[in-house]
Amino acid sequence: MLKTFATTAALAASLLTSAAYAQAAKDTLTIDLPNDAATLDPHLQWDTDSYSVYRNIFDNLITRDTSGAIVPQIAKAWKYTSDTVIEFDIRDDVTFQDGSKLTADDVAYSINRIIDPKLKSAQLSQFDQIIKAEVISPTLVKVTTKSPYPALLAQLVKLSIVPKAYVEKVGAQEFNQKPMGSGPYKLVQWQKGVQTELQANDHYWRVKPAIQHVIFRAVPDVSTRIADLRTGKADLIRELPADQAISLKTETGIQILSVPTERVGYMYINAEAGATKDVRVRQAIAYAIDTPGLIEALLQGYGAPVNVLGAPPVFGYTDKVEGYKYDPDKAKELIKEAGAEGAKIEFLTSPAYDRALVEAIQQMLNDVGLDTQIVSLDQATFLKRRQGDAANAGSVALGRWSCACQDADGIIFPLFRTGSSWAKYSNPEFDKLVDGARSTLEKDKRLVDYQKAYEILRADVPGIGLYQAYSVYGASAHLKWQPTANEAMFVTDMSWQQ
Amino acid sequence: MLRYAGSRLIQAAIAIFGVLTIVFIVMHLSGDPTLLLVPQGASTQQINELRHQLGFDQPLWVQYVNYLKDLGHLDFGMSVVQHVPAAEIVASRLPYTMMLAAGALMVAIGIGIPVGIIMATGRGGWLEKVLAAIVLTGQSVPTFLSGILLIAVFAVNLRWLPTSGVGDIRALIMPSIALGAISMSTFARMTRIAVLDELSKDYVRAGRARGLSLGAVVFRHVLRNASIPVITIAALEIGNLLAGAVIVETVFAWPGIGQLAIQSIQSRDFLVVQVIVLLISCVYVLTSLLADFVYAAVDPRIRMVR
Repeated sequence: MLKTFATTAALAASLLTSAAYAQAAKDTLTIDLPNDAATLDPHLQWDTDSYSVYRNIFDNLITRDTSGAIVPQIAKAWKYTSDTVIEFDIRDDVTFQDGSKLTADDVAYSINRIIDPKLKSAQLSQFDQIIKAEVISPTLVKVTTKSPYPALLAQLVKLSIVPKAYVEKVGAQEFNQKPMGSGPYKLVQWQKGVQTELQANDHYWRVKPAIQHVIFRAVPDVSTRIADLRTGKADLIRELPADQAISLKTETGIQILSVPTERVGYMYINAEAGATKDVRVRQAIAYAIDTPGLIEALLQGYGAPVNVLGAPPVFGYTDKVEGYKYDPDKAKELIKEAGAEGAKIEFLTSPAYDRALVEAIQQMLNDVGLDTQIVSLDQATFLKRRQGDAANAGSVALGRWSCACQDADGIIFPLFRTGSSWAKYSNPEFDKLVDGARSTLEKDKRLVDYQKAYEILRADVPGIGLYQAYSVYGASAHLKWQPTANEAMFVTDMSWQQ
Repeated sequence: MLRYAGSRLIQAAIAIFGVLTIVFIVMHLSGDPTLLLVPQGASTQQINELRHQLGFDQPLWVQYVNYLKDLGHLDFGMSVVQHVPAAEIVASRLPYTMMLAAGALMVAIGIGIPVGIIMATGRGGWLEKVLAAIVLTGQSVPTFLSGILLIAVFAVNLRWLPTSGVGDIRALIMPSIALGAISMSTFARMTRIAVLDELSKDYVRAGRARGLSLGAVVFRHVLRNASIPVITIAALEIGNLLAGAVIVETVFAWPGIGQLAIQSIQSRDFLVVQVIVLLISCVYVLTSLLADFVYAAVDPRIRMVR
């Protein structure tokens, strides 16, 4: 009996090992995304599900290394020849997937294409400080900006280089359906609404991709993505809620990958209308929220407290400005002082925000003497109200901000600069600082300006940073990958492990 | 008959036009896609520029007239999100929806009608009670729950079927059951009522008195007479199955029209939504029209009246 058991166990063990080996050595990686790519033309849409796919097909002019530093990719080097002119030295050993050579012509074409209003690119606002790109020689491109623009390099990290000849030959529509670039993977088939299949580009100039095939599937329901991961139908799933991550953590064969990102969870507070027009009420709200408690209980630790509306991976972030500590007594005092007991606080929200988080904050605000009412809207209506008239923009709302540029200019400028559609706040002193910091290339001066700007925001509280968001992925234990702060999904960074 | 069909078709066209207009107005009044499309940091000026390029800054009536003009030329417009003709996007999803509707209909009719007949003929017996419980369950368990349960049992634990997505015929089994369950219950209940109703009639008693068995009476006479209400339900259910699979399609990652509709509404991809609305209203109108003609074929009295 014992012997039979031992034999069976040994057999089972050997089967398991060989299964594990087969798993580790397989050549197709399947990734479940919540949605299908909207476009595969990298110059059109900029949403996570689209760029997770197309950034593998293309190379970028420049990129970020795993530490977050901006490093060369298609451009070997660059130098400013004046405050508004920058020259990029282009590699001459890169070919597109059809074998044609990538030249300065393609780089200039890519820049000029995305800033052309006729393309109707949703990404235009990220590049519209650029006036033009010109070819100086087959390996040299000159880019001119409207004014000194310090975030230029951070924005160009997102620029994919497209093949001029191919795009012009097949036309924009065909290019969107059958994209071709110089990247590590080439498109095999895009089955709309179902999946996108990529295959390694064997002639890729930079590295030899460890994984031969990649399939990005569109699986909208998170429970289904988890079932896919459990059964091995998917090797990697995106957008895993914290509570689900905790319960998956203990399962064998599955690992949870998470990384602090540049994305900040924040709360906007209307400084121009309603009860929150009084700065004491805004300060009271900041004191009333127990952020560490929220991170612990609702984010299950997949978030880090922040002192300002920014996070360490962001240029301009400072740890020298003190954040608001949870102090309900102080909050009650301030509300009493402002005569705002029982004041109505309209809390706008949409399905994009965690309902539990919204309700927990509502409770905290009510506990210090406010009367908070949640107004649930669909995302389009939410944005319309949040970015519309101050009088109609609610008292408070949550947000999760990332400019994908890791620069304070992409965060506090659009959120709080007078005249920005998000800003329900105006302070000329703050405007001067952020205007100054966006039009000089001197890093030290910018850092000083941003610290001063963050100090003003602390005093005026037109919004508060709540937490630095983590990206949470579920993955097969056989996948080796370290996700990065900019939420990119480059398959060349992935490989199999035992 | 021809005149009747003609007037029905005109009514149908008016109904479809009305639906299109209402959806157009409601969708446009609730915000345009510009804010959803631009990156977070875009300035007011940049947002307005994109809105202008996409044409959403024009007065509503101008947009509406332009839309109708294009529609007149059978131009359904381009998706502002995907930069692909809207009709092409919807057409690419249609086969999946039809496949799923066919699967669900097979479950619904294949199980629902026999169950209804058994429940009617075996009224009061234990078999009816067991079947009634099953029918009630099928009707009352919401699809988002039954879908997840099916996946947990048959895909995750037993590993008999794939969890999600499209592929071979096995991928169709669970979504068809989840979607067909509610229709199955409707068919079972309607069939039971219709058959019971006929069973109480004189001709049945006469037939039994002549010595025919219950089965013979049911299959030779009752079913044909009981089929009219069931056909009505079938027509409505086909419409529902084609249009109402949003949750099942989401749970099973099935790339059909329902999933596309909800995503397009969320992203305010107006023209895609309009094509879907047009398609679904046509389906409803056509299936109810078809049901009318089938009545006439089944029951000559209806032909006479009209």
